[in-house]
Amino acid sequence: MNKIKKIILALVVMTGFNTTFAAEHKNMMHSGVVAHSAWVRSAPVNAPALGAFMEIHNNTHSKVKLISAYVAGYKRVELHRTTNQNGVMKMQKQDFMLIPAQGRLQLKPGSWHIMLIGPKTVPSEGELVTISLKFDNGKTQTIHATVKKGKKMMMNHHKH
Amino acid sequence: MSKTTLLAAVAFVMVVSALVLSIYTGPDYQSLKNQTKASDILHNMNRELPNFALIDHNQTEFDNDSFKGKWTLVSFIYTHCPDICPTVLMDMSMLKSILVKRSLKEVPEFVAITFDPKRDTPKLLKNYVTHFDSGFLGVSGEQKSIDQLVKVFGAYYERSFEVEGKSVIIPNGQPMPNDVIDYSINHTALLYLISPDGRIFASFPMPHEPFLMADDVELFIKNYQ
Repeated sequence: MNKIKKIILALVVMTGFNTTFAAEHKNMMHSGVVAHSAWVRSAPVNAPALGAFMEIHNNTHSKVKLISAYVAGYKRVELHRTTNQNGVMKMQKQDFMLIPAQGRLQLKPGSWHIMLIGPKTVPSEGELVTISLKFDNGKTQTIHATVKKGKKMMMNHHKH
Repeated sequence: MSKTTLLAAVAFVMVVSALVLSIYTGPDYQSLKNQTKASDILHNMNRELPNFALIDHNQTEFDNDSFKGKWTLVSFIYTHCPDICPTVLMDMSMLKSILVKRSLKEVPEFVAITFDPKRDTPKLLKNYVTHFDSGFLGVSGEQKSIDQLVKVFGAYYERSFEVEGKSVIIPNGQPMPNDVIDYSINHTALLYLISPDGRIFASFPMPHEPFLMADDVELFIKNYQ
C-alpha cells in the first residue's frame, strides 16, 4: 500500500514539474519576441571587448528587428555579425538584427553577436551580465547572461 | 691520374650529386594527405621561413630558432577581437588539453602572434593569452616583421573602421591614419603547425574541430622523420 502511495506521490510531483516546464515553454514559444539562453564568453581581465550570445524567438506573424542592446559598465554596446568571406573573417557592425516571423535568430560565436566594448571591469566566469534588448515593435526585454567559457564543441565531439 | 681523368671524375661526381639532389627532396609527407582529417599539408624541404625577429610576452627575442627542435602551433590574433580570436584561442586550449591526455611523446608549444602590435604590447598579450592556457606564449614585435611573417604563412588581415557611418578598409602593409585608434581587423583564422625543422608543416582552416585536429597532429608527429 505504501508503495502505491509513493508511486502516486511521485506521479503527482512529476505532473507538477511537467506543468511548470510546459508553462515556461509555452511562455517562451508563444509570447511575442523572446530572447533566452544568453551567455557572455569569459574573457581575460584586460580584454578590450567581449561577445554576448543568445537565441531570439519571434512568435509573432511579423518580422521583428532587434535595434539595440544596452549593458551598464561598457563604453559601447554594438550589434555585430562575423562572416567568412573566402577564409577572411569579417566582423561588421549592424544597424539591426532581423528575426523572421515565426522564426528565430541564433547569436553564436563566428556569426551574429552583441559586442560589449570597453568594459569598466571584465566580468568573471559564473557572473551574470544584464542585457537590455530593444526591438522595433516597441518591446523591450531584459535578460541575464551567464559568463562562461562556452566549450560547446568539446561536448559535441565526445562521441568521437 | 691524368688531368683529363681528374676532370672526368669531378664531372661525374657533380652529375651524380645533381641527380641525387633532384631526386631526393626529403621525406614526402604529402602521402599522409589521405589520412588527414582537418588540415592541409604544406611541408616543403626547399622552403625555410625567412629570418625574422619578434618579441615574446616575456620580453625575450622570438626568432627562427624559437621554432627549431620542437613542434609549434601558431595562430595570428588581436586582443580587440571579441569573436573569432577568442574562439581560435579556445580551440587551441581544447586541442592542447586533448593532446596532453593522449600521452604523445611531445605536445607542441602554442604561440599566438598579434596582427596588431600597436595595441598589443608583450605585457598586454601575456595577460590575454594566458587566460586561455597558462602555457600559451604571446608574440608581438615590429609591424613590418609581423607583416613579413603574415605573408609567408599565407595569412591576411586588413584594418577596418568607420568614418561618418561608412566603412573604410586599410589592407595590411598600408599606413593607418594616425588619428584612428578605434578599428577592428578582418583576418584569416588558420592555425599552423611548425615542424622541428622550423618549416610550416600544415595548416588548419576554420571551423576548427579540436578532436580531429588532435588526430592530425598525432599523425604528423608519429610520421615525422
